Amino acid sequence: MKRRDFMLAAGTAAGALMLPRMSFGAEGVIDVYFSSDQNVIDFWTNVVKPKFEAANAGITLNLVDGGDGAGVAAIGDRALAALASGTDPQADLFEGFDTRVTVDGIAKGLYVDFETAGLSNYSKVNPLAFDIPTNLPYRGSQVLLAYDTTKLDPANVPKTWPDLVAWIKANPGQFIYNRPNKGGSGGNFVRRAIYEVNGNDPSLFTVDNYSADKNDTMLKPAFDMLLELAPSLFDGGAYTSGNTQSLQLLGQSAVTMIPAWSDQALSAIAQGVLPETTGLVQLQDLGLPGGFTKLGVLSNGANKDAALKLADFLLTEEIQSAVLTELGGFPGVSWDYVSPELRERFADLIPQTIPNFPSGEWEAAINDGWYRAVAPNVDPAS
Amino acid sequence: MTMTTPDQIGSVTPARRRPYGLLLVATPVLLVLWLIIWPIISAIITTLWVPTPEGSAFSIETYRFFFSDGYSLSNLSITLWTTGVCAILLLVVCLPIALYLRFSNTKVAAYVQGLAIFPMFVPSIILSFAFIRVLGPNGTVDLLFNAVGLPKIRTPYLTPWGPVIGLVWDNIPLTVLILLSGLGNVSNQAIEAARDVGAGRFALLWHIILPRISNSILVAISFAVLGIFSAFTLPYILGPAAPEMMGPFMQRTFRDLYDPQTAITQAVITFGFCIVFGLFYVRSVAKNRAA
Amino acid sequence: MAATLTHRKIDWTGIAFAVVLTLIIVFPLLVVGTWAFTNVWRYPSVIPQEFGLRFWEQTLARADVWSSITMSLTLAFTVTALSAAICLPAAYAFARLDFPGRNLLFFSFLAGHAFPKFGLLVAIAGIFLQLNLIGTFWGVVLIQLVGTLLFMIWIPVAAFQSVDRRMEEAARDVGASPLRVFWSITLPQAGPTIAAAILLSFVGTFYETEGAWLIGAPQVRTLPVLMISFINNQPVIQYGAVLSVLLWVPSFIALLFARRVVNSGSFARGFGG
Repeated sequence: MKRRDFMLAAGTAAGALMLPRMSFGAEGVIDVYFSSDQNVIDFWTNVVKPKFEAANAGITLNLVDGGDGAGVAAIGDRALAALASGTDPQADLFEGFDTRVTVDGIAKGLYVDFETAGLSNYSKVNPLAFDIPTNLPYRGSQVLLAYDTTKLDPANVPKTWPDLVAWIKANPGQFIYNRPNKGGSGGNFVRRAIYEVNGNDPSLFTVDNYSADKNDTMLKPAFDMLLELAPSLFDGGAYTSGNTQSLQLLGQSAVTMIPAWSDQALSAIAQGVLPETTGLVQLQDLGLPGGFTKLGVLSNGANKDAALKLADFLLTEEIQSAVLTELGGFPGVSWDYVSPELRERFADLIPQTIPNFPSGEWEAAINDGWYRAVAPNVDPAS
Repeated sequence: MTMTTPDQIGSVTPARRRPYGLLLVATPVLLVLWLIIWPIISAIITTLWVPTPEGSAFSIETYRFFFSDGYSLSNLSITLWTTGVCAILLLVVCLPIALYLRFSNTKVAAYVQGLAIFPMFVPSIILSFAFIRVLGPNGTVDLLFNAVGLPKIRTPYLTPWGPVIGLVWDNIPLTVLILLSGLGNVSNQAIEAARDVGAGRFALLWHIILPRISNSILVAISFAVLGIFSAFTLPYILGPAAPEMMGPFMQRTFRDLYDPQTAITQAVITFGFCIVFGLFYVRSVAKNRAA
Repeated sequence: MAATLTHRKIDWTGIAFAVVLTLIIVFPLLVVGTWAFTNVWRYPSVIPQEFGLRFWEQTLARADVWSSITMSLTLAFTVTALSAAICLPAAYAFARLDFPGRNLLFFSFLAGHAFPKFGLLVAIAGIFLQLNLIGTFWGVVLIQLVGTLLFMIWIPVAAFQSVDRRMEEAARDVGASPLRVFWSITLPQAGPTIAAAILLSFVGTFYETEGAWLIGAPQVRTLPVLMISFINNQPVIQYGAVLSVLLWVPSFIALLFARRVVNSGSFARGFGG
C-alpha cells in the first residue's frame, strides 16, 4: 500500500467533512423517526410521502429509521434536553412511539397535546384507540395465533382460550410467547390471560383505573395461570426476547404455535421466513388484544406546524384506506370514516371484536409483575 | 475510594517527579472530566436526592430497596456468576492460544491469529443470530445430528449458559490481543536461558512466562470483566427472561417501567462493582511492579 | 538458528488450534455467511432449500448503504488518529512521569467504560445541543473519541511500563537524546501492544452505535446504525448477514497481514512449534 496516497485520500475525505454542515433541522423538511419495521417505512416511502408532498408544496419528509423503540426513545431524551436548553432537537415527529417513554417529557410539555392541537380529523379517531392526549393513534393491528399446519391440522386448532390452554398442556414444548415488555405479541397474549381471569370483560380496564390493589385482584390470578402454564411451554418455560425470535422459532419448526402480530406474520410468510404452510387463527370467545400504533409530535421541533399538518393528513380517508389495502393493518379512525366499499370488503376482519388493552399504569404493572411472578428461577417469596 | 499507596500504577524514580506530565495527560483527562465524570456525578446525586412533597431530601431509599429486593439481588448474583464463569473460561481458552501464537511463526499461526481476532468484527446482534442458528433449537448442530441419526442437543439458548457462550466468544479477540502483546515482552534470552538449565515446559510457563505477563493477564481480565458486567445485547437475546443480567435489567427499568431513578441506582451499583474490579487491578499492577 | 529447524517440522499444535478454532469461530460465521446467500432455509434440511441473491440486490440497491460505509470508515480513521495523538503521549506520561493526582487521573478513565451508557449519553447530548454539535460529523467524532480513551491509555501504559529500562539507560549513557531513545528503543518495544490498542479502538469505533445514533441522527448515518435498523425487530436476518459478509472479507485479509504488526517479527520461536 502506498502510504502517502492513502494519507492523502484520507485527508481529503476528512477535509470534505470539515466543511460547515447544516446542523439545524432544515426549514420545510420534517424529520420523521420510525420505530416500526421496514414494511411500515416502505409504506411511508411509497404512499404517505408522495401523497403528502404533492398536497403540500414546499414540505418534504425525511424518513429516519430508528431501528427499534430504544433508538427513537434516545432521540426523545435528546429532544427533552433540547427543550431545556432552547435548542433545535432536529426531530419533528415520532412514528410508533409512546410519548410516556420520555420520562418527564409530557410533564415538561415536550409533546404536542392533540386535544388542543386543532387537527380537523381528530374527532374521527376510533374511541377505542385513545390513550393519552399526546399519543395520536393512526393505525391498528391485531395479534393472532400462528401455527404450523403440517403439525397441527387446521380442523383441530384451538379456537377458545380454554381450548388453547388444553392444547398447550397436551403438547408440551410446542408453544412459546415472548416477554411481554419486548413486543406486543407476547404482551397481548399475557393480556388475553388477564381478560380470561376477569370474566373476559375488557370494559373493566381503562387507561386510568389502575390501582395497586387491582394488582392483587385482577393481575395476580392471571400470572398464576401463566405460571401454571410455564412447564408446558418450550423448554419448560422459556420466553423469547421479541416478536422476531418467536417467528424464527416457528420458522425453524422448533415450536408448533406462537402468538404473532398479523402484519408481521403476513410479511414473514411473504418473505419466506415462515413457510406457506403457516396457519393463522384468532380466538373466537374473545380475540387476543390488538394494538394501535401511535405518533408523537415534538412541541419544540423546527417544523412543528408542518408535522401537525402531516399528522392530520394521516387521518384522512385516503391514507386510512391505504393502511387497509397497502399495509394490511387496520385504520386508526372509526370504521365509519373509511370508504363503504372497503368496509364491506373487510367486514369479516372488522376488529370491533378485537379488544384493545389500555396502556397507562397497567403497562408497567403487567410488565414488572410478569417478570417477578411468571419468569422462571425466581422465588416469589424472596 | 481510598488511594493509600502512592504508587499504585507502578513506581517512577522520585527525581523525575515533574508536573509537566500533567500537560501531556491534560487533553484526555479534560475530555473524561467534561463528558463522563461530571454527568456521572450528577446522576449519582439524583439517586440520593429524592423528591418529596416538601422538595427534595437526602435519602438512600433506592439503594435500600435494591439490596432488600430478592428479585434485584438474584439479578445481581446471576451477573456476578456470568462474569466469573466468563473470566475463567476466557483465560483457559485464550492463554494457550496466545502462548502458541507467541512462539510460533508458521503460516498456520497466521491463520490461527486471524481467526482468534476475527470475532471482533462480528457485531453482537449478528453473533446472537449465529448462536441461535447454530446452537439454538433445530439449529445447525441439531440438523447435522439429526441427519446422522443422533438425538438433538439440549440447547443453551434462553438459559444462563447462552450469554456465557456468547460473551466468551465475543471477548476472545480482546483477551488474545492483550495477552499476546504481553507475551511480546517475554524476551527470548530469558527462555533460552531457562531451557539451558533444563527447565521443562511447565516450569518455563510457571516461573518465567507467567510472572512476566501477569500484568497483561490482569489488564485482559479487567477489560473483559468490565465489558461483560454491563453487557446488554447478548444476555438480552440469548439469556433467560429471569433472572436478568444487570444490563437488560437496567434497560428494562429505564425504558419499560419509566423509572430512571431506580435504573440509575442499579447503574451506580453496577459501577461500584466495576470499580472494585478496577481497584483490584490497579493494586495488583502496583504489587507486580514493586516485585 | 532455531528458525531453520522448526520450518521442517509439522506444526501439530498449530493444526490442532486451527481445527478447533475453525469449528468454534468459522462455523457459526459460515452459517451466517450461508444465510446471506439464502432465500429459504428451513428445518430439517441440512442445506438451504433455495439459494439466491435476492437480499444482496435489495441491500446493495440502497444508496444509504454505500454512503454510510464511507461515513463509517472516515469516522473510524479520524477518531483513531485523534485518539492516538492525544492518548499515546498521555500514556507515556502515566507510565514514566510522576505528577500530582497521577493515580486518580489514571483511574478516571475507567468511569466511561464501567458506567452504563444510557443516561450518560443523554447528558452528553444535552451538552452537545448547546454547542450545536448534534447531527454533525465532529459531534460524533467527539463522542466516539471519549469511548476509545480507556483502551488507548491503559493498554499503552502497560506497554511503556514493560519496556526494558536498562536498554534505555544504556542508550542514554552512550549519549542518545531522550527523543532518540524514545524513537529507537521505547517505541519499537511498545509497538505491538500499541498496534493492538489501535486495532481495538478502530474496530470499537467502527461498530459503535449508540453514540453515533444519539449524536449523529438524522444527518450522520454510520453503517452499524443502518444495520441496527435492518436487523432489530426484523424477522428477515439476511440483510444483516449480507452486510456482515461485505465487511468480513476485507477484515479477515487485513488480519492475516496484521500478524506482522502484532507479532512484529522480532521474536524467534521458542517451544511448541
